[in-house]
Amino acid sequence: MRFIGKLIINLVAIAVLAVGGGLGSAWYMVEAGSRLTTRSFGPWTTWVAAGRPDADPYTRAHAARNALLPIASTLELSYLAKTDADGGQLQSVCDYSVTVEGMDGAWWSLAVFDRRGRLIPNAADRYAFNSDSAMREPDGRAVIVAARDARPGNWLPVGGGKITFVLTVQDARMAAAVQMGGAIKTLPTIRKLSCR
Amino acid sequence: MTPSAPPATTVPETPWSLLPPQVDLTPSPPRPAPSGWLRKIHWRAAVGALMLGGILHVGATLAVPLLGPGRAYQKLADLLPANTMVVMSPAQPGKELLPFLLPDAYYGLCRYSLANEPISVKTPLSDVGWTLSLHTPQGENFYVMPGQQRSSDISLVIVPGAERSSDLIPAANRRAAVATEDQIASPSEEGLIIIRAPLKGVAWRAEIETALSRAKCTPGLTP
Repeated sequence: MRFIGKLIINLVAIAVLAVGGGLGSAWYMVEAGSRLTTRSFGPWTTWVAAGRPDADPYTRAHAARNALLPIASTLELSYLAKTDADGGQLQSVCDYSVTVEGMDGAWWSLAVFDRRGRLIPNAADRYAFNSDSAMREPDGRAVIVAARDARPGNWLPVGGGKITFVLTVQDARMAAAVQMGGAIKTLPTIRKLSCR
Repeated sequence: MTPSAPPATTVPETPWSLLPPQVDLTPSPPRPAPSGWLRKIHWRAAVGALMLGGILHVGATLAVPLLGPGRAYQKLADLLPANTMVVMSPAQPGKELLPFLLPDAYYGLCRYSLANEPISVKTPLSDVGWTLSLHTPQGENFYVMPGQQRSSDISLVIVPGAERSSDLIPAANRRAAVATEDQIASPSEEGLIIIRAPLKGVAWRAEIETALSRAKCTPGLTP
């Protein structure tokens, strides 16, 4: 009887450790990524091998599972931000300024989504700015304000709950620097302005 | 005769900073014993669980992209007739083609099939930010061309991978099946052609729609 009890405990332990640990860690590595597959610059995170035919299995699984069709990361990278510069979660009850500077010569687009990648409905029918459509400050910076209420300048309307900024940058030199592990100093800063 | 006590000596005071660091030699308290059920797990079972967990981890990770086409291709394949370019307006809430897809761009999409013959693609790539990209059903981007400020359209031919190309290319053109500048070998028989045309502003809508209307994907060697 004691033997059977011990056997059952061992089998349950194997099942819990194997399924929980194995599948749980796989889910985490595919959804959130790790230092092996992603690089972070402040609040911005990118999948280093996204879209490439020689991408690692985690990156391929991430794209397949999340219905993504990224352009090869040797040309273009998409950076996701779910927090501001201070580490606070991005939420539509707060207003944020995103300052893009130092990306002269690169094509970029900054879009705002909810956490599941869906657009946030708004009367202005505006969901993104890019290097051609954003108004510039006299010094060349583009300051984009994400807020519920209308703002002068580059206003990106938000609503709902938590939000995600997606910055897409088409710049082969910058992409190469990310691939090689170099530092990127030109990604936009995200500052919280106020909250309700 | 009793021995006399040794004369008392005074030890000079030593500054604390010169003393060697105090080492606590008292034994550390014993670790708490594992609870009853934990003690019953044999070490072999724990090792087996770790190995099985590793196998499940690798298997689950590899299985997602290998079990079939990615979810992006499945979603788009339902909307797109084969070998026909479809132009999509910038996304609207509730009508997004894919999650996190750039909302400030028009898209020209073509689901190609190389089952019978190569596919010719002709498209403008008239400005910075425009891209022409080719993807396998699993989402791999095996070819991409960025746009530049140019007035002429670009043309290319998608041919099957090397092992099948000689069957599908007419004999007269067979030499061209070997990769040339404007011929791209597709690693899969089906795939997606995506032309992205970013919107500079509302005023450019008509111009981009006109330009994208020239985009074509047609079976054969000439567009």
